[in-house]
Amino acid sequence: MKIQNLSFFLLLLLFWGCREPFEPEIEARDLNVLVVEGYLDSEGLSSNLRLSFTSNIQDEFNFNPSALGATVYLESSSGARYSLLERGEGIYEFQHDIPENETYQLRIFLNDGTSYTSSELKPVITPEIIDVGFEQNEAGVEVFLTTKGNPDADDFLWTYEETWAFRPPIISFDKYDPELKRIIPRSAEERIDLCYRSALNSDLILETSSRFQDQFVFRQSIKQINLGDERLSLRYSILISQKALSKDAVEFWEILKKNTDDLGSIFSPLPSNIRGNIKQDQNPDVPVIGQVSLGKVQQKRLFIDIREVAPWRPEVPEYAGCFLSADTVFVANYDAVFRSEINIPALPIYLENAIEPIGYRYSTPRCVDCTRRGTNIRPDFWEE
Amino acid sequence: MNKRFLIALLGVFCLSFGLAEAQTQEKITGLFAGVSFERFAELIEKETSYRFVFDPKVMEEVSVNIQAKEGKLDDLLTAIFQGTSWKFSIAADNRVFITSGRKMPVEFVRGYFEPKNQVSKLATDQQEDLGAFARNMRYEIGKDKEDPAQKTAVLSGKVSNIENGEPMLGTVIYENIGFQKSITDENGYYQITLPKGRHTLIIQNPGGYQEQRQIELFGNGVLNMEVQESFLSLDEVVVSSGALSNINKLEMGVQSISMAEVKRLPAILGEVDVLRGILTMPGVNTVGEASVGFNVRGGAADQNLILYNQSTVFNPAHVFGFFSAFNPDMVAGVELYKGSVPVNYGGRLSSVLQVSPKFGRSDKIGGSGGIGIMTGRLSLEGPIGEKTTFILGGRSTYSDWALNLLDDEAALNGSRASFYDFNANVRHIFNEKNHLEVTSYISKDEFAFDPDTTYSYQNLNVAATWRHFYNEQLEARFTAGYDAYQFGIIGQDNPLNAFDFNFDVKQVHLRTDWEYRKDLNHIYKFGLHAIQYQLNPGTNNPFGTESIVIPQDLENEQARELAIYFGDEWTINERLSVSYGGRYMLYQFYGPNTVKEYVPGAPIIESNLTGERNFGKGETIQTYHGPEFRLSGRYNLTNQSSIKAGFTTTRQNIHLLSNTSVIAPTDSWKLSDSYIKPQTGGQFSLGYYQNIGVTKFEFSSEVYYRYMSNILDYRSGASIILNEDIEQDVLNSLGRAYGIEFLLKKNTGILKGSLAYTYSRSLLRTSDEPSIEKINQGAFYSSNFDQPHHVVLVTNYELSKRINASLNGNYSTGRPVTLPISKFEYGGSERVYFSDRNAYRIPDYFRVDLSVNLEGNHKVKKLAHSSWSVGVYNVLGRSNPYSVYYTPVEGKLRGYQLSIFAKPIPFITYNFRF
Repeated sequence: MKIQNLSFFLLLLLFWGCREPFEPEIEARDLNVLVVEGYLDSEGLSSNLRLSFTSNIQDEFNFNPSALGATVYLESSSGARYSLLERGEGIYEFQHDIPENETYQLRIFLNDGTSYTSSELKPVITPEIIDVGFEQNEAGVEVFLTTKGNPDADDFLWTYEETWAFRPPIISFDKYDPELKRIIPRSAEERIDLCYRSALNSDLILETSSRFQDQFVFRQSIKQINLGDERLSLRYSILISQKALSKDAVEFWEILKKNTDDLGSIFSPLPSNIRGNIKQDQNPDVPVIGQVSLGKVQQKRLFIDIREVAPWRPEVPEYAGCFLSADTVFVANYDAVFRSEINIPALPIYLENAIEPIGYRYSTPRCVDCTRRGTNIRPDFWEE
Repeated sequence: MNKRFLIALLGVFCLSFGLAEAQTQEKITGLFAGVSFERFAELIEKETSYRFVFDPKVMEEVSVNIQAKEGKLDDLLTAIFQGTSWKFSIAADNRVFITSGRKMPVEFVRGYFEPKNQVSKLATDQQEDLGAFARNMRYEIGKDKEDPAQKTAVLSGKVSNIENGEPMLGTVIYENIGFQKSITDENGYYQITLPKGRHTLIIQNPGGYQEQRQIELFGNGVLNMEVQESFLSLDEVVVSSGALSNINKLEMGVQSISMAEVKRLPAILGEVDVLRGILTMPGVNTVGEASVGFNVRGGAADQNLILYNQSTVFNPAHVFGFFSAFNPDMVAGVELYKGSVPVNYGGRLSSVLQVSPKFGRSDKIGGSGGIGIMTGRLSLEGPIGEKTTFILGGRSTYSDWALNLLDDEAALNGSRASFYDFNANVRHIFNEKNHLEVTSYISKDEFAFDPDTTYSYQNLNVAATWRHFYNEQLEARFTAGYDAYQFGIIGQDNPLNAFDFNFDVKQVHLRTDWEYRKDLNHIYKFGLHAIQYQLNPGTNNPFGTESIVIPQDLENEQARELAIYFGDEWTINERLSVSYGGRYMLYQFYGPNTVKEYVPGAPIIESNLTGERNFGKGETIQTYHGPEFRLSGRYNLTNQSSIKAGFTTTRQNIHLLSNTSVIAPTDSWKLSDSYIKPQTGGQFSLGYYQNIGVTKFEFSSEVYYRYMSNILDYRSGASIILNEDIEQDVLNSLGRAYGIEFLLKKNTGILKGSLAYTYSRSLLRTSDEPSIEKINQGAFYSSNFDQPHHVVLVTNYELSKRINASLNGNYSTGRPVTLPISKFEYGGSERVYFSDRNAYRIPDYFRVDLSVNLEGNHKVKKLAHSSWSVGVYNVLGRSNPYSVYYTPVEGKLRGYQLSIFAKPIPFITYNFRF
């Protein structure tokens, strides 16, 4: 359906029109906006606050400068201060068990002399996730979550991180050693036949529990995995974080969610500016992005194995057109074919009863080396 | 300029009138050495019974150097004027007329200057056929003896166009001393009450051209006048009091524009465009060249009530805003009410644009037409029998050849645009007291910018009005009409996803309007308007046999609107008049419909949805009602200046859903419902009006302040098409706008024109109602059409009577935009940071246009009149950005600005009428 996508048609409309680069003069204060992200745990578990700056939209690199050397602490209404420790790369760690009946303000002192204060924060204790599960449907597999709100925790934000194990289409246990001029088996660290891929996700799922009876949020859809997705080709894991939000935080996340889906174009809907609950002390009009919350995050991890959803036939576009070479490379030609690592030996060819292969069939690294798309190190949380 | 025509004469002397008995010429003796002609005339008048009629100003250069002994005036004047173009004629009553170029015929006078006692009819109908000399004739009207006690008498009649007999609307008739005035209605009728006696009536038509008539009023009577409408005014009458309509009109913030003025403006592609004329007025902006709407005093484009006669035109543009929907041959004139909206209009927040239709000439069958680069038009008009006149007019694009010709960029392949419109208007006069008028309009547009997606829309309007005159005081109009608008999109990009989307809105309206003129000082207006709306917010169906699109049909919306009004225009004394009145509007949104319910007191968002409620057919879902007030007053400081003040409140029940800056062809209308409340607003305004140099310049300045509630703005990423829960995507907003407008106009002379400057602001703020998002933290922000500085220069230079050149300039501040300005990481992903809503502006807009109009000769009676219009739009070739947008190029966002007319666009049009 193309109704939404009108932006192109004005381009075509130009009888005598023309398109020229537009580079507006952006006010400096809009270019280097402090970004504060964090959900500080109020029960003593380690949690992180990240301080960074926005970068110019036209910058080539995805590099967001971190705010280093800042002094950050949480101050209670009774005057107690809880410091955050700098851990590098703009990360500040918070690890305090704080009284939950007080209100707090986060205070940030940057090394350029500016300081920032959050609005009053009240710890919101996120209720536990009652259940996470999945269900097969026509389109694939849906991951869902069940929880229950309470008078203090009505609005919820769910975010998730995914990790899945996968194999490349062409498996190889061996590699060519240019010094020995032989093909040798890979060591455990060098294995390229089984990898783990993680995906950060921009999805922000918001829901209000009070619209349900007894604030019982039953089988809230978190993630839809479509048929053929590589995620379920072997084993899949999803870590769902549940955060209860205060009312003002809902607005922040709603705008972030809406803005993410849209870039301003001619006929595209109007985007909104995003702020949050942090203001500069020196000049409250200076934009600061960030909604800091205080409370307890609830997390639950779910594993789904291919056996639970079988049959599952993964179709991975990255592996389209992968096949083993038709020819066999004989030992004498190893160096010529494999030295440059354009080709990776995959399938050894043996003569009957022979111990040593007479040669290898091979393929390209794209089809053989899974570390190009993931890591071969098994994550700590991984359960088989 | 040669003075081929009569120059002037009038008002200089008020000659006593009597039948001259003696025809013998009086003898003159004296030495006139180096005296001015004026002095010479004075001396002659002292000695003899001759009375001179001439314009002292233009005669200034004539000096008299003559010695006379028992000479005849005849001989003296012949000697004085020898070798000049001056001519004289001496009438039987010894009046001497000095004219330039052509001798004034004085013999005709006999037939008209009848002795009083021969005027025996109760009311003398005066009909003119004197042409250019009619203005100098004195008409005796009424019967003296009939009612000698009465000090005043009522003069009425009809003003019509000398060329085609059509009635002239909006012509101001005023008396040049006491400034009693009357304005002709759409049938050209006027009525004015004057003290008995001698008067000079000035007839000021909306094009700025003036005529005058000398009358001697003895009693009630009728004077029908034929005047010229042509913008090529002949040499001006010197005696005048300028455009008094501006000073004397009771309403403020009213801008009239005649078709003659519109035709002088350089046009895009040579299409004479009524709406483009509107844009030369102060306080009227547009967000871009190719946008359908216009913004009046900081109001959104959907806040303008656009009426063709009594019909509401929902989409006033063709081809996505390039041309206005109105065929210039079918329009008599345009009036825009941007300040105080008269009490008999309502239903929109900002302004009323009244487009007056033509009804056909009554003298003979005639027609007019034009041939331009892209379009052609033809109209035919005339009488059917004695009592009926008709006019038919059509306009169409020929084909896409022009588009193809100009299309040298590959991007345009497959694009096409075509439209047509057709008008048919009929007027039938049953008798003096009963008139019937039927107007109709249909238009269709179809365009595509790539071969796969076709947009189309259609207007349909029909209305019939019966006018009944009960007596001289009371007049009533009864109107019934039907208006419809629909648009559709057919997408065939992919046969599997081919779709056919449709939207439509229809309204049936009944209205009755009454006008009661109680004695001289009150004009009461009252009436009742009823509208029934039926709106289909959108249906989407598969297109073609292969398509697997799932049909979707949003529930239809129905509503009714009822308004009663009463108003009084009260002339308190010669200097002060006030107009006051009000409307009361009742609006009901009714079933069948399903209304979603949300957690009360919480923002209307999906996560607060609690259920839904079904309403049966005809069941009232939501009722809104409220008053509207209209108040304005005028005080004449002097004969040449006045101040006015006004306060107006308005309500609007139908909204245009558009979350883009410009009106797009996919914008749909929405009726007020349980969540979307009627827009309300008010405006205070104050104005000062002054004529400078008697006739030369007309100056006005108005300041205003407006407030608006329940305006719709949209949250981030709102979508409009096929949105079942539009209430979740709109934000209830408050608006305010203020500004000051200056207009300096020169209506006479070889160089005519106007200069308008407006400083205005238009701001919005998300209201305090619970909502998920407060744009810019709930602070005021610029609306999409907030363009503070706006200057429009319109000039017209008359090179000769047949050639005139126009130069127009247009400057405005660039409109506001929201830009993506930086990026950051949040919530595990890269996000784009947008500036505050509308914090930046696109570059300023500046454009100069040039056109030359070539007229045929000006004989009033000839087979066909033709004219050429040649010009260049955007002479400087400045690429004025229409919009800016961002698109990812190799992984990073790049900004582009887009101009529509980035080069000078020449045009040529041939117009004719017969």
